[in-house]
Amino acid sequence: MTGAELTIDLLAKHGVDEVFGYPGGAIMPIYDALYGAPVKHYLTRHEQGAGFAAVGYARSTGRLGVCLATSGPGATNLITALADAMMDSVPLLAITGQVPTAAIGSDAFQEIDVLGMSLSCTKHSYMVERAEDLAEILQEAMHLAQSGRPGPVLVDIPKDIQMAQVPFKPWLAADEYLPKLDLNQVAIANQLLSEAKQPVAYVGGGVHAADAQNELMQFLNKTQMPAVSTLKALGSVLPDYEYDLGMLGMHGGQAANLAVQECDVLVCIGARFDDRVTGNLAKFAAKANVIHLDIDAAEVGKRKPAKASLIADLKTSLPALECVVTPKAWCDHNKQMMVKHAWRYDYPGEKVFAPYLLNQLSQRMPSTSVVCCDVGQHQMWVAQHMKFNHPCNHLSSGGAGTMGFGLPAAIGAQIARKDDFVITVSGDGSIMMNIQELATIRRNNLPVKILILDNQRLGMVRQWQELFFEGRYSETNLSDNPDFVQLAAVFGIAGQTITHANQVDDAITALLNSDGPYIVHACIDDKENVWPLVPPGAANDEMMTEKAQ
Amino acid sequence: MKHNLTIALKSQSVAIERFLRVVRHRGFDLTHLQLNMDDGQYNMAMTVDSDKPIYLLTSQLNKLVDVKHVTLQNLQQQAV
Repeated sequence: MTGAELTIDLLAKHGVDEVFGYPGGAIMPIYDALYGAPVKHYLTRHEQGAGFAAVGYARSTGRLGVCLATSGPGATNLITALADAMMDSVPLLAITGQVPTAAIGSDAFQEIDVLGMSLSCTKHSYMVERAEDLAEILQEAMHLAQSGRPGPVLVDIPKDIQMAQVPFKPWLAADEYLPKLDLNQVAIANQLLSEAKQPVAYVGGGVHAADAQNELMQFLNKTQMPAVSTLKALGSVLPDYEYDLGMLGMHGGQAANLAVQECDVLVCIGARFDDRVTGNLAKFAAKANVIHLDIDAAEVGKRKPAKASLIADLKTSLPALECVVTPKAWCDHNKQMMVKHAWRYDYPGEKVFAPYLLNQLSQRMPSTSVVCCDVGQHQMWVAQHMKFNHPCNHLSSGGAGTMGFGLPAAIGAQIARKDDFVITVSGDGSIMMNIQELATIRRNNLPVKILILDNQRLGMVRQWQELFFEGRYSETNLSDNPDFVQLAAVFGIAGQTITHANQVDDAITALLNSDGPYIVHACIDDKENVWPLVPPGAANDEMMTEKAQ
Repeated sequence: MKHNLTIALKSQSVAIERFLRVVRHRGFDLTHLQLNMDDGQYNMAMTVDSDKPIYLLTSQLNKLVDVKHVTLQNLQQQAV
């Protein structure tokens, strides 16, 4: 068996039956082994598209995503997707071809030090130096990507090793070091909970990574503790939970941010006190004792000290927390705040109001739908105005904030979940970053829906220029955008443009009823901003609101 | 504040690079480094300087797959 055949064989043995990639000279033996193999390959039109499709595949299922690329520019084009997966803890395996071993270090054609480049954007990475190590490395790589805190792993395989005869060596994962719950810390946490008058659960992406939604909901249902979510956690707290306060942070809801600022105990469940969540860190939950639950010890105390740290799998640590019922006065207060600060959809004027459109779409689409965002204003509107019942139904580039994420991520999600309604919500800036992937949708007849909220601007940057740069709109005007419906039509994708509020309901109907891919290009007000907004350097209770403007 | 660390790494060729990248990126200046290959592993003695608490570095280093152990020599300075 050649190294290339072994690579495909091991993927199949590991249960990987769908991969994404783009061939090239240094990975041709692996592509030759793919020919007729049981592992189905999806050709994207750019390696970054392959990387994000694999991320979308992984995030929408919890399974390993796999992407392939050739050496040099093929591998460099994967880097952004690897960085994105690193920031958002996505189980991803990237396999790159490398020039033959003898040519490494000679500045050969399409030779780049991919291993060196990978160091800052992978959980771990390898370059295979000996053919006899290939089997072990691949098996370890797949294990590492999915174990502990998940993340991207890269395996760079020189072409001669792909072509060499290699032995298969079964590899058994060593007894993995999994942190054990410190019972003293559990006792401290439970003491804090028993004394808490105003506790809040701060829910992060770790709940999805640990597949711990059930454990989370058991804890919340028993305690009735008000819960706030990070962008990545949205969907972890079920939408019918009475004290779900929604997203916190820079564009979080006022009820969510105020609850955290007022709380006396903050139970951080698989989150990392990201700067977009905390605003001014010194003023974030300043009165609270923190109980931090995470599988990654390096996150505890990294940004905010914890009184109690439960470093373990959330499936173990969440049930260890005592379910003390939250004082009713605090619950009632938060319910009142939710009513007081509820989102409003009564938009004056005839233009399309993006929050209303997204809220209507959310109410009308099946509950199993997957929404893949790009990055910018539309991403925040999705987070604010759409409801999700599982984090695998809301794919948004959180830590890295990568424009161009949405379309290829939706392709990966649609391939992973063929029977589900999958839609990418994008902006007129972001959609152009991986627009070539319309060809992948067409090639595979994927019924991916596309909603472009077009303000002819890089909207979030424009908003900041308006608010914080004295209206100096440097390079954010995109009024020379192409006609997106015509553009989609060139790829054989039908669609429509809407410009008025009275077209919204019919456009959603068209999205929901179309059998194949479909695009709705919604022209929105170029001056519309995302509210509320915690300005840079401010505390989360110093939110700017539309009313105040 | 300066901290002395001893570290054992797997003898992977890229292990030292990976390790030193984390030291730099997490905001610690390297002021001394001694490296030996013994018993099939890299043994390092290192001094780093930073205003940041040392656990912010050791917790990141301990996550690296190539790292066998990280030991802080002057434990009295490990303000957690």
